[in-house]
This record gives sequence, structure tokens and C-alpha cells, in this order.
Amino acid sequence: MHAAFHYLSRLSFQTKINIGLALIIVCFGLLLGAINYAVSSRAVLREALLRGEVLSVNLSARSVESILSMNFLRLTNLVTEMVDRDDRKDLVYAFIVDRHGQVMAHTFRDGFPVALLQVNQVGDLQPFGMTLLDTGRERLYDFAAPVMVGSTRLGTVRIALSHSTIKAAIDRLMWINLVATAGATLLALIGSTFFARTVTRRINALRHSAEQVVKGNLDVQISLAPDRSCWEIMDCKEKRCPAHEDRLRRCWYIAGTFCPGCSSHNFPEKLDDCRNCPVYRRNAGDEIQSLAESFEFMALTLKDHIEELRRSERNLARQKQLLNTILDVTPDMVTLQDEELVYLAVNKAFCRHVGREEGEIVGGTDFDIFSDEQADRNFHEDMQILLTSHPLSKEIMTRGGKGKKWHHVVKVPVVENGKIIGLLTTARDITVVKQYQEKLIHSQKMEDLGRLAGGVAHEINTPLSIILGYSQLLLKDFPADDPVAQDIGIIEKQAQVCRKIVADLLSFSRTTEQAAQPMDINDSLREVAELVEHIFRQNRIVINLRLDERIPPISGDKERLKQVWINLYNNAADAIGDDGCISVTSKLCAHRRRLVVAVADTGSGVAEDDLDKIFEPFFTTKPVDKGTGLGLSVTFGIIKDHGGRISAISPVPSEYVDDSPACSGDSGPGTVFFVELPLEGNELPPDECIEIPKKET
Amino acid sequence: MTPRHHLMILLSLLFLFSLAACGDQPAPVKVDMTLREEQASGERQPVITYAYLPQFSHTVSFERHHRLVQYLSETTGLNIQQIFPETFHEHMLMVAQGKIDISYANPFVYALTAERSGAKVFAKIVEPSGEAAFGGLIIARADNPDIRTLADCRGKRWIAVDQFSAGGYLFGLGHFIDNGIRPDDFAEIVFAPGPGGKQESVILGVYAGRYDVGTVREGALELLEDKIDLGQIMILARTPRYPGWNFAARAGLAEEVVRDIKEAMFALDIADPEHRLILESAAMRGILPADPEDFDAVRELVRRSGL
Repeated sequence: MHAAFHYLSRLSFQTKINIGLALIIVCFGLLLGAINYAVSSRAVLREALLRGEVLSVNLSARSVESILSMNFLRLTNLVTEMVDRDDRKDLVYAFIVDRHGQVMAHTFRDGFPVALLQVNQVGDLQPFGMTLLDTGRERLYDFAAPVMVGSTRLGTVRIALSHSTIKAAIDRLMWINLVATAGATLLALIGSTFFARTVTRRINALRHSAEQVVKGNLDVQISLAPDRSCWEIMDCKEKRCPAHEDRLRRCWYIAGTFCPGCSSHNFPEKLDDCRNCPVYRRNAGDEIQSLAESFEFMALTLKDHIEELRRSERNLARQKQLLNTILDVTPDMVTLQDEELVYLAVNKAFCRHVGREEGEIVGGTDFDIFSDEQADRNFHEDMQILLTSHPLSKEIMTRGGKGKKWHHVVKVPVVENGKIIGLLTTARDITVVKQYQEKLIHSQKMEDLGRLAGGVAHEINTPLSIILGYSQLLLKDFPADDPVAQDIGIIEKQAQVCRKIVADLLSFSRTTEQAAQPMDINDSLREVAELVEHIFRQNRIVINLRLDERIPPISGDKERLKQVWINLYNNAADAIGDDGCISVTSKLCAHRRRLVVAVADTGSGVAEDDLDKIFEPFFTTKPVDKGTGLGLSVTFGIIKDHGGRISAISPVPSEYVDDSPACSGDSGPGTVFFVELPLEGNELPPDECIEIPKKET
Repeated sequence: MTPRHHLMILLSLLFLFSLAACGDQPAPVKVDMTLREEQASGERQPVITYAYLPQFSHTVSFERHHRLVQYLSETTGLNIQQIFPETFHEHMLMVAQGKIDISYANPFVYALTAERSGAKVFAKIVEPSGEAAFGGLIIARADNPDIRTLADCRGKRWIAVDQFSAGGYLFGLGHFIDNGIRPDDFAEIVFAPGPGGKQESVILGVYAGRYDVGTVREGALELLEDKIDLGQIMILARTPRYPGWNFAARAGLAEEVVRDIKEAMFALDIADPEHRLILESAAMRGILPADPEDFDAVRELVRRSGL
């Protein structure tokens, strides 16, 4: 049973309709045929019995006179003519008996069957009596009618109709009925097949279109175009109407049509106003047609929706890409956490900072990323923000493998519909800013120091000149070998030292006009190098010059700049001690608005903490009596007067390490000094010079 | 649709099929048709035949007289049987041949019968009118504009009951002759065809317009009052009354038989409810003794009419 149902369920819709209709038609055909046969056979039988009744009663009436007159001939004629003239040939016999049961006339040729007298007795008051007789050869409907005159019975007439003849008529009727039913059923089956094919053809078209829609082809056309469209029916000349010349769609599917009777609604609301429109009445189809049109409209609407969605998707993707690009490009670290502090989104800067992939971070919390201590601190801080809705802005300093780092952290609660749904955190690396801040402070300090030193030097210079003058006068008063003269010589010498110190201090603090004139930096560098080269060579120190010949002449104080180079070369030689190289490089910066002179040594280097202090007056890393600590301060002052800048990095970055054969061998970390000078004017341009490596932090 | 609905539909279809299949054929009665025999003549008891002159149909004759016959049989103990001659002539012939023992006939037929076969009248009836005499009616269609008087009957077609009918021919013929109209004056004289029912045939012949004039006995019109509109029939004339219907015994019938019958007949009393039913059925009020002389007026009329 289940297999049969399964088999039936797999049949095509058309086959199912055909089978269903065939079953219904055959069942109803058989039923109606059976009922029709039963009714008609009964009618035939009833008509036959009624005929027998009428014949018997009629014979009874016609035989009265003859019975009364004992006219046997007429009686015999009556019965024989009745049988002989029977068109239907179903009258088997007829006979008349008198009131004594004596047969007066009969139609039997070979003697009267006396047994007939014993059956089918009929009373005086009965109009007739009928009995079905079985003679062994056939069955007979025997009718008996009393012959009455008033209330007096004269006799009885009997006739018999053949059952087989009646049955033959009924059978004939049955065959006619059967053939008619079979013919009607066949016609109905042909009609139902045509109907099923008509219906299923259109349903198949719908199914095919649905498959096309599923495959993404939304340009389906199932319904047939109307033979006359709305503008033809209504004789419309309005060519701006969206329905005009649109032969594929019915006008009630098109919004914004210009007809005066057209609704402003869209389909399907519009349809309510179209029901009485002659265009609708002419072009509207049946339910399947409406379904096909609705399907097309749905596909069209779907296509529009999909195109709109695709546009939106492209737009969103572009925006997302733009946002991701912005977030990823920005050096700031940006994170978004939900109300449970689970990371929803992070940018690449944050990923780089924590050293993990985005996929590892999203979905986790701080406890998965940071140390427990840090995560716990963050958790309490973040929860405080989420609970109070107060944003947080702070600067934090971290120490890592790359040194100190400063970050400006801003944490803002994300509010949607009055409810906090997350936390947006941005952290900006402000290390450089902090460095500039420190430099600014340092510069300010140096300026203050210079002003102080200048003032002090200026005040000391006068008494010192007097001491020096008088000591030189006293020297003239004593012979050279006089011990007094030697003492005075010591005083004069020390006074000279003091005078030198004071001159340096004045140089450091001088802001006076310089003797600016065009000069070639490279020549200046070569000149100083040649000057000190032979002295350094004694300690096996080599000076390598790598000068950029493109550097144009600049406006500067040639002598003072030579002082700068001498200071830098001496510092380098002091740092090297014996056996080393001093690498001097000059370069034009990228924008050709400044030049850089780098003096690198292979010496012992400068501690990081000391790098910021080396330009301070009297700061020195040299042993006592080896230096005053004013050399770099003076250098700083001269460069500053030229509108330039001096900085130092230790150890020497790789690109400034001298790889010449003379410099190979054991060497210290070294120090490199960068002197930046503007090519024009008295101020450095605002842009950075990429040739100067940043101090690694 | 639930399985319950499927079951109900199936049962309904089965019911309809069974309804269509079932019939109401009675059980047949077995009859042996092989045993056959020719009809034997059978033994007949001696019977006294009684015949009513067939002026009406046999059925009317039977209905009118079968109670009287039955009464006479029961009273006399004789096996009296009513027979039905087809025509007046056959009646007279059968009386002459002795096939009719008791003849109930009109005076005309009696007169002829008596003269030819020696039948003897022994009783006469009292008509429903109370008289022992009756007359005839000359009738025509009421809307026949050509016949307003008896004299208008000349040249017309006349239908009479029978050439041996008293009220239906003889009395009318005598009346025409008495009024100066000879049989030759008529365009046609026709007698009603067929056996029995002749009075009705005459009335219906005139009613149908096939004949212009008809002659019937008194009381005949009433026989058709529930069949035709008697208003369409106009009685042109009523004939004089003559001695009425009578009972005659054939020549040679045993006297005691005649006597017993006469006694029984004369014993009928209209006051007796049973006798009244018998007498009224036979359209008479009583039966009186009669002699042949009582019918001389009829014999005279026959002669006068040239018959």
C-alpha cells in the first residue's frame, strides 16, 4: 500500500490528473450506468407489466358482450387477434374462462394446458392480478382480469407476457446504456486529458520559470501578451505613461499609470480599482494566468530588490573596505568590545601591538591577550566606564623590548538607543611627541643655561682680563727663571685657561650676528680633516670622507663651522682612543632644503641616558682634566646660530657604520652626530629628513 | 480528507451500486404446461332460456335483467339462464326455433312472434311511469334549423332502432303516417347497425349529425344522460302510447314452468325492498298478467303501417 502511494506520488502532475479524472469518470460512469440501467430496466419492466395489465383489463372489457352472447367466435377472434397482432411478440397466450371456470376461448394450438387454470386466481374486486410463472422453458408474466358486469362476474380473461422478451428488451437497453456510458466515458477521458494537458502545460511553464528564478534568471515570461493592450483599448495617446507600448505586462501590474481611473497604489492594491476597468475585463485571464502574471511580477520585483541589495552590498563592502583601510592604515590602535568586554573588532595596529592575528583576538577578552595583572587592571577600568558611561582619556608609558613607549588611550562607551552596547578604545602612539616634548624642554634648558653662562662669563671676563693683564705685566718685572716669574707664569697660564673657558661660554651663549658668507660645507669638512688627520694618525685613527658633491654652497660663518667640525672630530677621536675610524658623511636631504653632516666614530659610545645631556655645558664623560665639557655646548650654540640642529645616536645605526677595510676589526658601538643645516635662510624646514635615522626606542 | 471520509464515500458508492442492482422480482410459480387437453363440451343441466330483446347493449340487458332471472331461478327452482340474441330478427328466429323459452320483447316483436311461431304472452310489465303502456320519441338535433316541426322531417334522413322495434320504429312510423308523412317522403330510412345497443346508436347518430331525425322509445334518452349533452337533442314529437313490453313463452314450453314463472313474476311487489331492487334494475314497476288481446292496438298499428 505504502509502495503504491509512493509510486503514485512520484507520477507527474498531468498523469495524476489524468488518472484521478479517469477514476472519477469511470466510477461515476459505472455508477450512473448502473443506476440508469436499473431505473430504465425497471421502467421497461413496469411499462411491460402496465401493458399486460392494460391488455388484460381491455380484453376483459371487450369480451363482456361476447361472453354474454356466448359468441365463441368473437371471443376466439378477440384472443387470437390480440396475440397475432402483438407487435412486440411478447404476448405468449390469451384465454377466457367463464364464471364456472370453463374455457371459452384460447390461443393454444395444441390443447389447453389445464394447469394454467389453477394459478393466478383473481378476485371479483381486484382490477387484475399478476403472477410470474415458470413453465420450465421460460418465465411468463401471467395477468388475470375478472370480466365484470356491475357486481356480477361473468368470467376471467388471462394473458401472458414473455419474460425473456421483456428481458431481451432490458438487455438491449443495458447494452445501449453500456455503449453510451462507455462512449461518454471515453469522450470525458479525452476531454479530461485535453483539460489536464492544458492545465499542466501552464503549470509546467510556471515550474520551469520557478526553476529559472531559483537559478538566478529573473527575466521570466510565462503569461502570453494580450492581443490588445490598454492604450489600444482606451485609445490612449499618453506616451509618457509607463504602461504605454509595454506589451509584456498588463497595465495593472505597472505603478504610476496615467489613466484617469487608475489608482495611485501599486499592485496588488491597485487591482481593486481595476476590476471594473474595460482593459481588465478584456485582458484578465483565469486563475493560472493571474498566478503566472503575479509570478512574473514577483520575479521582476525580486530582481529589482536583488539589484538594490547588490548595490547596497557593494556600497557596504566599499564602506567596509574603506573603514577597514582607514582603521588598518591609521597608526592608532582601535578596538571595539561588547558589553561583556569581548573583542568584536580590532585593527592591524592593535594586532601588531599585541603580536597576534585578528582572528585570535576577536571573540576573546583581555585575559586571552594580556597578562593577568594587566587584564585585571583593564577589566576594572573598562567596567568602570561601562557602568558610569564616563569616557576615559589617559597617557600611559610602557617599557618593552623596544624601549619606552608612550600611548594616549581614549576609551569611549558605545551607546545605542540609550543603552551601552560596547566600548571603543583608541590608543595613539605619542612617543615621538613625548620625545619632542623632552627635546623642547631640553632646548629651553640649554637656552636658559646659555643665557646664564653668557651673563656669568661676561661678568667674569673683565676681572679675568685684568688678572691676565697684570700677571703679564708682572712677568715682565721678573726674569724668566725667577721662581716668582714661574708662579706668575702659572697664574697667567691659568688665567688664559679661564679666559678660554669664558670665551667658550660666550661662544655657547652668543646670539650675536655671525659673519655669514657663502661657503662650501664639503670644503670646510675636508679642510678640518686634513688639519687633524696627521695628529689622529698617530693614534691610528682614520678619517673617511663621503661627501655629497651636489650640496650647494650655503650661507654661514666658515670659521665657526670649522670649530664645530674640530670639536666633533676631536670628540670622535677621544671616544676612539687608539685604532678606529671616523666616518664623515654629507648628504642633501630629500627635499633639497637642508643638508646633513654625519660624523660617526667607532668609539666606546655614549650611554642612552647621557645622550640627552651631552650638549649641556660642563657635561663630560671624559676623565677629570681631560675636558671642560664645553666643546659640544659650544658646537650646539654655533649650529643653533646657523639655524640648524645637532643630535647624537649611539650606537651607530647600521647604515652609518663604516665598512671600509681600515675600519674593520674590533670596535665599539660608536656614536654618530648629525648636524642639520638649512640650505637657505636661518631656520630648518618643517619636513623631516629621512636620511637621519630615528633613535630606536 | 481523513480516512473516515474515504470510508464514508466508499460505503456511499457501494450503497448506490447495491441500490441500482437490487430488483423487486416476485418468486415465480411453477406451472406444468405440458399437460394439455381439448375443452370437453361438459355436461349441461336442462335450462330455461330467457332472452331480452336486444334493444340495448348486452351489458345493459344483462344488468337490467340478471337480478330478475336470478330471482326467478331461485323462486321457481328452475335453471333459468339469460341469453343474448344479437338482433331482433335473431331473437324472433330463436323464439320460433324454440331456443328461447321466455321472451321479453316489445309488443311489435311479440305480435310478429306470436303470429309466426305461436308464442304466447303471459305477462306484461308496468313501465316506470306506472303505466302498462309506452310510447316513442321522435328526436332531432336542437340546433338543426331545418327541423322545427314534424312536417320538416320530409326529405330528411331518418334513423330508427330496428325494423322490429316498437318504440324505436313502429310507433314513430305510425305517428308519421298519422301526420301525413309517408316513408317515401324521407330521403333515407336507416336502421341502427350492429348487435344490441341500437337505441343508443340512434340517439348518438342524431347527436353526431349523421341523421336528421331519429325514433327511440321512451326512457332511452336517459341512458345517455351521463355520456352526451341531452340539451342538444330536441324531442319533436311523442307518439301515442301502446301496450308495453311483455313476457311470452315459446310454443311448447311446459305449462308448469310457465305457471311457476308467472307466479314468481306476479309475486314481485315494488313495496318489497328486494323486489324493488329487482324491478328497478329491470326498469319496470311491476309485472301483470296479460292476454294476447291486450296487444290488438299494436297489431292494428302494424297493419296501418303497411308492415
